[in-house]
Amino acid sequence: MNELSRAQIRDLMAQVLKNQDKELPADDAAQLREIGFRSLDFSELALRVEDETGEELNFDAPGLRRIATVGDVLDFLVDLQHQ
Amino acid sequence: MSEPADTQLVPPSSVVLVSGGSRGLGLAIVTDLLDAGVRVAAFARTITPELEKLAAEHPDRVHVGSVDVTDLRAAQSFVREVEQRLGPIDGIVNNAAMGQDSLHAHTATDDIARIIETNLTAPLQLTRLVIRRMLAKGLRGRIVNITSICGQRGFPGLVAYSATKGGMDAATRSLARELGGRMLVNSVAPGFFASEMSAVLGPTQLDQIVRRTPTGHLTEPEEVTPVVRMLLREHTNINGQVIVVDGAAAI
Repeated sequence: MNELSRAQIRDLMAQVLKNQDKELPADDAAQLREIGFRSLDFSELALRVEDETGEELNFDAPGLRRIATVGDVLDFLVDLQHQ
Repeated sequence: MSEPADTQLVPPSSVVLVSGGSRGLGLAIVTDLLDAGVRVAAFARTITPELEKLAAEHPDRVHVGSVDVTDLRAAQSFVREVEQRLGPIDGIVNNAAMGQDSLHAHTATDDIARIIETNLTAPLQLTRLVIRRMLAKGLRGRIVNITSICGQRGFPGLVAYSATKGGMDAATRSLARELGGRMLVNSVAPGFFASEMSAVLGPTQLDQIVRRTPTGHLTEPEEVTPVVRMLLREHTNINGQVIVVDGAAAI
């Protein structure tokens, strides 16, 4: 499986935000609510990762609800690629 | 085919089959029907100690079995066992279902298929099986489909689940027409329970639903069982309907 690194996922996340004229902070502790990164943005990011890796990333909602920071997003998607 | 209406009343159900009767609402329905003097057959994938206890307490009026609702052959065997032990089935409660907790775009295709098989295909097959037995014996009977407010209102994370529940509501109406008054067919659509499948919504969404509910609380199984019992036991002329039990949250 062609796995993306945390840095590569961060780049994709920055692109998702840039398309909405938003900026991804350098700090992983930045709150998603403050930067305006919503659940469908997460969905878009996950699908972009899928496009890069060629593997479907399916997941349940409870894990998604625990995500609050940029770091949480990156951790979640890095872990998801291992499942 | 246009035919005159069948004006004979459908008697109260005396032997009721409950799918998914081992816990939650299903177990509450089994308990309530037993309290009302009904003979009850209940199956579920796993028989819980609570259901076992009911079977031990009412050996002449309860028959339980470990059956996966999607296993039609096992369901057929169970129905035959029930008829031998309790008598012909003249009521069915389609309660067995599986929940969902994932955005549609990120739900595995196998999971979508499994939800549809469990929540829509299996109850339609089980209903077909039981109504064939009833029709062949010249029986009149009652069918209650446990659906959900999700069949009428939209909630994120429950796309396939909602589709199955809306599908069962639609089937309820057509079946009521098709069975021409020989069987009464209705749905009971609870709002979200505080436990079990409602866990899929998360505390924030559940809090929002409670705030929007005029009665100020989520639905409890004990608030649904009297409605199911009424549809199985009372003379009401209610047929082909979906009765929502949600404290007016969805209005």
